[in-house]
Amino acid sequence: MSLLDIQNLSVEFGAKGRGFRAVDTLDVQLDQGQVLGIVGESGSGKSVSMMAMMGLLVGQGRIHADKLFFDGKDLQIISNRDRRKILGKDMAMIFQDPMTSLNPSFTVGFQLIEVLKQHMGLRGSVAKARAIELLEMVEIPGAASRLESYPHQFSGGMAQRVMIAIAIACNPKLLIADEPTTALDVTIQAQIMGLLVQLQKTHNMSLILITHDLAVVAEVAQRVAVMYAGQVVEQGDVSRMFSAPTHPYTRALLQSVPEHSRGASRLHTLPGIVPGQHDRPGGCLLSPRCPKVQDRCSNERPGLYAQDGVQTRCFFPMSAQEVL
Amino acid sequence: MSKPVMQAESLTRHYHVSQGVLKPAVTVKALADVSFRLEQGRTLAVVGESGCGKSTLARQLTLIEVPTEGRLQIGSEWVQPGDKAQYKRLRSQVQMVFQNPYASLNPRQKIGDQIGEPLLLNTTLSASERMIKVMESLERVGLRPEHHNRYAHMFSGGQRQRIAIARAMALQPKILVADEPTSALDVSIQAQVLNLFMDLQEQLKTAYVFVSHNLAVVEHIANDVMVMYLGRVVESGPKATIFANALHPYTQALLSATPSIDPAHRQKKIKIQGELPSPLDPPSGCAFHKRCPLADARCESELPVLRELQGRQVACHHTG
Repeated sequence: MSLLDIQNLSVEFGAKGRGFRAVDTLDVQLDQGQVLGIVGESGSGKSVSMMAMMGLLVGQGRIHADKLFFDGKDLQIISNRDRRKILGKDMAMIFQDPMTSLNPSFTVGFQLIEVLKQHMGLRGSVAKARAIELLEMVEIPGAASRLESYPHQFSGGMAQRVMIAIAIACNPKLLIADEPTTALDVTIQAQIMGLLVQLQKTHNMSLILITHDLAVVAEVAQRVAVMYAGQVVEQGDVSRMFSAPTHPYTRALLQSVPEHSRGASRLHTLPGIVPGQHDRPGGCLLSPRCPKVQDRCSNERPGLYAQDGVQTRCFFPMSAQEVL
Repeated sequence: MSKPVMQAESLTRHYHVSQGVLKPAVTVKALADVSFRLEQGRTLAVVGESGCGKSTLARQLTLIEVPTEGRLQIGSEWVQPGDKAQYKRLRSQVQMVFQNPYASLNPRQKIGDQIGEPLLLNTTLSASERMIKVMESLERVGLRPEHHNRYAHMFSGGQRQRIAIARAMALQPKILVADEPTSALDVSIQAQVLNLFMDLQEQLKTAYVFVSHNLAVVEHIANDVMVMYLGRVVESGPKATIFANALHPYTQALLSATPSIDPAHRQKKIKIQGELPSPLDPPSGCAFHKRCPLADARCESELPVLRELQGRQVACHHTG
């Protein structure tokens, strides 16, 4: 059985009838110890879908799913009391900006020990020892002395390490990292990603990595889902998909990365921008921007089809023979 | 070698930072001894992590601040510190594009007025002539001219950056300083904006100083690369030379830390320890020695100077 099983998740904001679908028919299955990358541009629904799954969108939008199971528990009918037992313990999250996700008024030691008290029932010197151990695990120098420091005394990279320490404090089964390195410099990014992968392996955690950086996903994840305007347009094995994408959007994303056009004077681009609330097209959501658009695309919405071992949302998927 | 449109000689900028009421102020050497020359139609990329002095350099080049030491040539004139008439004249030659297009545009002013403002201040064109120029600028950056009376919030991030570029280009400056112009944008939009930069350079022969931490972007857009660490240049030279064979350990670490989609391009990660030291209390000797895998006793005590080596300049005791 999958650790995480999401079927047909949709999230809608705004008035009924003319609401805005931020996430549409999302399916995610994730096994213990797997790394899934979710990539897409801003507004494609990456973060919203994960927040909906965790129950962080209460009162802000309508969530519907055929199935929303984590570790055998149905997250749709679970009581808030039981949900609080899961969040931060079995399922933990790291956000993009460590400086705004840590509370500036409390020491990092307090914030770290709070989690241990709440979920593990640790108290006093035992909790403190575990907190020091965690800070050492995320390679913060002088861990024992940093417990008394406030978040503003840390650099961005160090604060992100504290966030990771808090997230892994209770040995979660699933860690969701939402753009964990976007705010950091490239050498620090490499350090943090290395740390996340190492922790994921030693604890056999599942990791969902939300990012817009295709290269990070290519290096870390085994499976990847590409999202566009609330829908998964293609998902499958990373090396398979990034070497031979079947969906025109995945292909365009990969081509627009400067790395792809080494030596060329121009980068490949996809004209236009991601459609917003009011200008979503009738047929395939990519149809106004797609280079291979045909009549059928403008009238009919494609579903996810299996094609050469990946799932793709396109009527006219590209075959592996077409070179990138 | 053709004549440079911009040349810097040993640019240095110190800031005095107050530590509190009773403590003495300390000096932060944000920029030390930076020299380069930039020719028409070429792009110099300045690379480094936050706090390495990239933005301080950009502020000296755009005459926003006066360097503590060193001199700067813009066009064919050497900048005379304190000569306000000259500043006014030269500033129209050097324009700037900032990182965050959400913050660099005025939310209360129509974008046509914002693009026209440099023309209003620096030329004697009439209102209708300015309007024609604004329309041209909008068209050149790929926006519709009839959008001139819209406000910034009506545009997406990529379009806003285009507006910022149109404003910077309105006076047709010789030099454009771009400070992380694409790091706030999505990949597909980043590609559009980078293409726009390349197209404008081809049409107008503008020279770019392109500040970025994204080496993939730099490799695409630059002719020359200057890698900075804690206010000093550690390696500088033609792009191809540096990307093919970086000599400075910091450049090597930066290159290896950049993730890559293609497994064939992936390099073994050189693990560098720690973070950028505080500029308030820089390490002795080579600023990189505390994180450097090659560091020895000499690096701790002696500051390496930039020297010519294999077609580029590099500041390290351990290369060559």
